[in-house]
Amino acid sequence: MTAKAGAGPGGGGGNRQGDDRELVRRAQQGDAEAFELLVKKHQGRVFAVAGGILRNREDVEDIAQQVFVKAYFSLKKFDQRAAFSTWLYKITVNECWDLLRKKKVRPLVYESELSEEQATMYLATEPKSDQGPDVRERLEVQQQLERWLDCLDERDRTMLTLKEVQGFTVEEIAEILGINGNTVKVRLFRARQKIAATIRRRKRAAGV
Amino acid sequence: MSDRPIDARGCTEFLEELERLPSGLPGRNTAENWREMLPPAAREHAVKCAECAAALEDFAETRAAMAGMAERVAEPGPWFVSRVMAAIVAKERELEEQTNGVWISVMRLAPRLAAFAAVLLVLGGTWALELRRAEHSRQQQSRPAVEGLFETVPNTPLNDDIVASTHEELQP
Repeated sequence: MTAKAGAGPGGGGGNRQGDDRELVRRAQQGDAEAFELLVKKHQGRVFAVAGGILRNREDVEDIAQQVFVKAYFSLKKFDQRAAFSTWLYKITVNECWDLLRKKKVRPLVYESELSEEQATMYLATEPKSDQGPDVRERLEVQQQLERWLDCLDERDRTMLTLKEVQGFTVEEIAEILGINGNTVKVRLFRARQKIAATIRRRKRAAGV
Repeated sequence: MSDRPIDARGCTEFLEELERLPSGLPGRNTAENWREMLPPAAREHAVKCAECAAALEDFAETRAAMAGMAERVAEPGPWFVSRVMAAIVAKERELEEQTNGVWISVMRLAPRLAAFAAVLLVLGGTWALELRRAEHSRQQQSRPAVEGLFETVPNTPLNDDIVASTHEELQP
């Protein structure tokens, strides 16, 4: 499985999970170095998951840090029945949702009000591509996407992001969100229907 | 969707195949290109079933829209791991101080509490003693009047006793 934000969670699954199990076991016994290795291994994915829900760079960094600190202090309670990565992404999703509830805004709406300076700074931190549209156009595309995604509720948006952007499988999403695999499939199907309908409606309105 | 069981099964299998499609697509994000990546049975089903064909269109539309998001995924800076470990150390220290803080407060307060308790005991004991004395003296003051009322007459023989004793003397 290829996923855009680094190696997918299922890739090299058995070996990766075996390594994780050993590192988790050592970290549970107080080995800080083992935990540091876990952070190095999973930081990219945690950032990607948080970034798909939050979008504000500062919030993503804060939440990612919070996730690992929380994982460290809860590690003794983790019984390794599920994969460490799944447990970590579950914490990530919950922390993101908690932050959004505290902010009491829809997840992507507050990002659509970036000033030009902020937008330039934001896009400047993104990986540069050789042939890309200019900053303003990219920002407009991004804001447009965020408006489209705004038609979904928090849970469906998270699900769609995990599937389409991070490349998680349906089974992994089900485990992270604590729901049935069939429910994930149905909700993804409906979420895509909504997004596509919104895109077509807005394109029609814009005369495209 | 069709009422015939075999079509319903076909639709279910088609949607499952859709979810199994990989993230990346060589070429443009169109329904046609995605259809080419499906297994033959699913490809054929998409041609026959209008609803599944619509689902494929929606799938392609969504993928195309979200393709840009994947390129802008936030990545951690090189300092992130150090920042996490430092935050953990700080939190551990904070928890330790909280625990020590409780004991330190108890130990600081203990002598004061003991002194306060001693003062209370002394005051309480003195008050109780004074109260008892006051009551005792009150009792003593009131006792003679009470005895006067019921003062007993000196032990003089009653007339009846005299009569009785005379009678005994007169008995042979």
